Amino acid sequence: MYRPVHARLVRAGVATALAVALTACGGGPKTDSGSNNGDTIVIGASIPLSGPLAGFGSFQKWGYQHAVDEVNAAGGIEIDGEKKKVELKLLDDKTDPNVVSSNTQTLISKDDVDALLGSCTPALVTAGAVVADRAKVPFVTGCSPLTAFTSVQDWTYAWDIFFLEPEIAALPFQTLAESGQKTNGKVAILHDNGPDGQVVGGQVWPAIADQSGFDVVANVEFPTDNTDFSAAVQKAKDSGADVLLVDAVTPQAVSIRKQMETAGYHPKFIQMEKGAEPVQFAEALGDLANGVTVGAYWDPSFDYPGAAELATAFEKETGQTQSQHIADSYTAAKVLLDAIAAAGSTDKEKINAAIGETDGDYPVGPVKFADDHTAKLAVAEVQWQDGSTVVVSPADQATGDLLFPAS
Amino acid sequence: MSLVESRPAAGPARPAPRPGVRAAAPAVLSLLALLVIGMALPYLVGPYQQEVGYRVVQLAALATAWNLMAGYGGLVSLGSAAFIGIGAYTAAETGNNYGWPLVACIAAGAVVAALFSVVVSPAMFRLRGLYFTIGTLALAEALRLLMINIGTFGGASGIVLRTPALEVYQLFWWALVIALLATVVVLVVLATPASLSLRSVRDDEDVAKQMGVFTFRTKLWAFATASAVMGLVGGLQATKLGVIEPYGSFGISWSVDIVAVAIIGGLGTRCGPWVGALFYVVLGELLRDYPEVHTAITGIVLVLVIRFAPSGIWGTAAAVVMERRHG
Amino acid sequence: MHLPDVQDLLQATVTGGLLGGLFALTALGLSLVVGVMRLVNLVHGELVVLGAYIAFWVTGNVGGDPLVMLPVVALVAAALGAPVQRLLLQPLARHGTEAPLLTTFALSVVAQNLLILGFTGNTRSIDRDYTRSLVHLGSVTVPTIYLISFAISAVVSLAVHLLVTRSAFGRRLRAASEDPVAASVVGVRVGGLHTITYAMAAAVAAVGGALLGMCFSFTPTSGIEYLLTGFTVVVLGGLGSVKGTFVAGVALGLVESWGAVVMGDGYRLFVGLLVLLVFLTVRPQGLFGRTA
Repeated sequence: MYRPVHARLVRAGVATALAVALTACGGGPKTDSGSNNGDTIVIGASIPLSGPLAGFGSFQKWGYQHAVDEVNAAGGIEIDGEKKKVELKLLDDKTDPNVVSSNTQTLISKDDVDALLGSCTPALVTAGAVVADRAKVPFVTGCSPLTAFTSVQDWTYAWDIFFLEPEIAALPFQTLAESGQKTNGKVAILHDNGPDGQVVGGQVWPAIADQSGFDVVANVEFPTDNTDFSAAVQKAKDSGADVLLVDAVTPQAVSIRKQMETAGYHPKFIQMEKGAEPVQFAEALGDLANGVTVGAYWDPSFDYPGAAELATAFEKETGQTQSQHIADSYTAAKVLLDAIAAAGSTDKEKINAAIGETDGDYPVGPVKFADDHTAKLAVAEVQWQDGSTVVVSPADQATGDLLFPAS
Repeated sequence: MSLVESRPAAGPARPAPRPGVRAAAPAVLSLLALLVIGMALPYLVGPYQQEVGYRVVQLAALATAWNLMAGYGGLVSLGSAAFIGIGAYTAAETGNNYGWPLVACIAAGAVVAALFSVVVSPAMFRLRGLYFTIGTLALAEALRLLMINIGTFGGASGIVLRTPALEVYQLFWWALVIALLATVVVLVVLATPASLSLRSVRDDEDVAKQMGVFTFRTKLWAFATASAVMGLVGGLQATKLGVIEPYGSFGISWSVDIVAVAIIGGLGTRCGPWVGALFYVVLGELLRDYPEVHTAITGIVLVLVIRFAPSGIWGTAAAVVMERRHG
Repeated sequence: MHLPDVQDLLQATVTGGLLGGLFALTALGLSLVVGVMRLVNLVHGELVVLGAYIAFWVTGNVGGDPLVMLPVVALVAAALGAPVQRLLLQPLARHGTEAPLLTTFALSVVAQNLLILGFTGNTRSIDRDYTRSLVHLGSVTVPTIYLISFAISAVVSLAVHLLVTRSAFGRRLRAASEDPVAASVVGVRVGGLHTITYAMAAAVAAVGGALLGMCFSFTPTSGIEYLLTGFTVVVLGGLGSVKGTFVAGVALGLVESWGAVVMGDGYRLFVGLLVLLVFLTVRPQGLFGRTA
């Protein structure tokens, strides 16, 4: 039966009165989360631990945590004369930009983070950077190619340490020129239509190919969740190109390589940007991976401080093979922690200013931010040979010779 | 067969709600109370609770809209993402290109979303039951693929919004208004004879048609209204994100979260969407500290809740209360 | 868009048709479940991917050739599917279509995450000599694994078709799907039949998934694509019709391949969805279904 109407009226009235009274006492709506109680330095990060990018997320988790553990093992960071430990708060964003946005917001408002570290791939990184920049919280990230990062907006509090798409795009041509190997001068390009796929595959590769005297005879685009590439591979094969340039993520790169084999397409030079970099590529393909080249922004053999040790530590702790992403994420975290130490304070403006002053050598390479808040990593060409990667270009960093023809 | 079956006649029947102001009073007062409390909330709690509140209210709005279509109308759709995405992109484009204020932008989102529902309805309404469900899933996915492949709206890279950003509490208030609006619309519909048409279509469309119900029109109103609300929510979400792209705006997770919330709350009930939204978001927050397993645990909890309370939390609670009173 | 030359079209026709046979196999399970139990089985995609992972794990840890191990894959999947249906879905059958639908969705989320926890998110592929080699059929080159998959799909589809149309079990199944109430009145144990159907569906889906894992690559989240393809095939072929499912699968493979040759691989799935939508509106009972 219905409760008598007037009882409800009374309750609603009381609630209203209470709310109004409290409102009047509270001042304006709360926008400030306040700062945390200061016992620890809190660093927050939303990373993909589930969903399609869970692979990246696991490397980021290790890299971030390793940097934090190192600093804590050394006693922490000195803030206002007192050594404080660092706490890393990680959240799973399920590879969903909506969740990244929400996570970043709650990290700022619930966990009172002093600074943030980013997710991976442009869509997710941008979603977090936008929130951080608005909230004026320092945000250091890797894993977002620089043009994709700067094309969104001018950043005040967000900083990116990664490679520049045109430089990685130049690698195959640089490698071929250095090796002196001859091809029929024809290039076929297969690329995904994500932000960096379009830059590299749609603009830079054709441009550099032109300049280097190559002829682009096929250029095919596909979305990042495509699984069957028969038409694209057929087109490349029909074009007769000796040089195949592919920009796609690992699942696609694996499928493309397999389908090349079953289509009987054997180009002399196979570049598979993005997708061929992680060891899962070689594990999934076996000896079919041999000969495939890919641009890398890091290899444990690079002459940077702590590079080799990082790889060893990762392999020892996790039992998995190293990936360049451990270096990028570790460095992003280390840069942030160093900036906090340099600032000697958890004041966000001071931390931000200190990040801007970063100028040092880290395991992933020298890091110094330009005016657009990007720190560019040098890139090199690696090739899969007998199940492991060999640096083949530039010559002064090479650890082996180019395997040619690739298939 | 639908989730909300007509109750057996055993036991004293609950008095049928009489139309009119007296009967509407409890609902109206509850909504007013919600409005006042919601408005006051940002003065009492900080941005974290405001953010959580935003998500609760956003899901409540979406689930209320979906409930109108599915719970009362029998149109079980898995394509909500299409309308949310349309709302998001419309709001972004109108904001960027015409500089309209926020209200106009998200209203435009609602209008375009509703228009899309009208355009696809002749085809969609030929489908009954689970064919309709599959059809809406296919529609949303096809739209997502189209947006990714065609460069006009930024393709896979999406659009950056150049409109001013809002504070969390402002977003919360907007979302609250949208949710209350949606609830009011649903309550109004339920109080009019239109609700009988809708329910008759859900229970047996062919019989309804023979009884003189304009089934197509009835379904269209429900579909278009629900789509409009989803468009509003999408537009607001675009403002919140600042950057939108097809995977996030047209992603299937929207469609399924809405279904989860509506069913967990209680399909075909008025309070179900709100209860479901609260449960779903709070569950997510409780599992926040276990990032590696929280999606798995959420899934398991959902499975268990549905297994043991198939009418949803509110639906089951209401049934229990009814039994106590009449049993 | 451009007009493809005849050779490309011929190539697309042959490979598309063969691949379509595999689509049919992966959709067969869904066809059974939707046709017999009216269940929108949103976890179907994960059952397919699960098959790939079972094959991957078994051949990696126990050894053996993936093709030889297919029956093992089928059995493991059936063993997982049966209790899910019996304990989680069966009790909800009285409560309409939405509750089971949500359960299957929740299960797909759980399944994806268990796969990530068990196998990590890394891309996998099942690799053997025959997954790399090709066969020349006249002027057309065909991946060997496509031929193998088509053959297996045809055999399994035929077996299921005979089971459903010629056996006593099949008779009971058809009775239960046409009119569950009447069927139970005459003594058909509808609940038990549903469990067996679901287990069979899981088994068949898993076998299809294992073969897909040999043709392409897979990750824990690869399932959604196979769910959509499955629905397309099921609607195209007519609910519950095994023959229809097979023909529809081949037809879809053809249409998608032609679409890819003309518009690019990116439109493959889009073309498929378009076909689904067109058929839903024009002829929802599919090519072989009876008008409801």
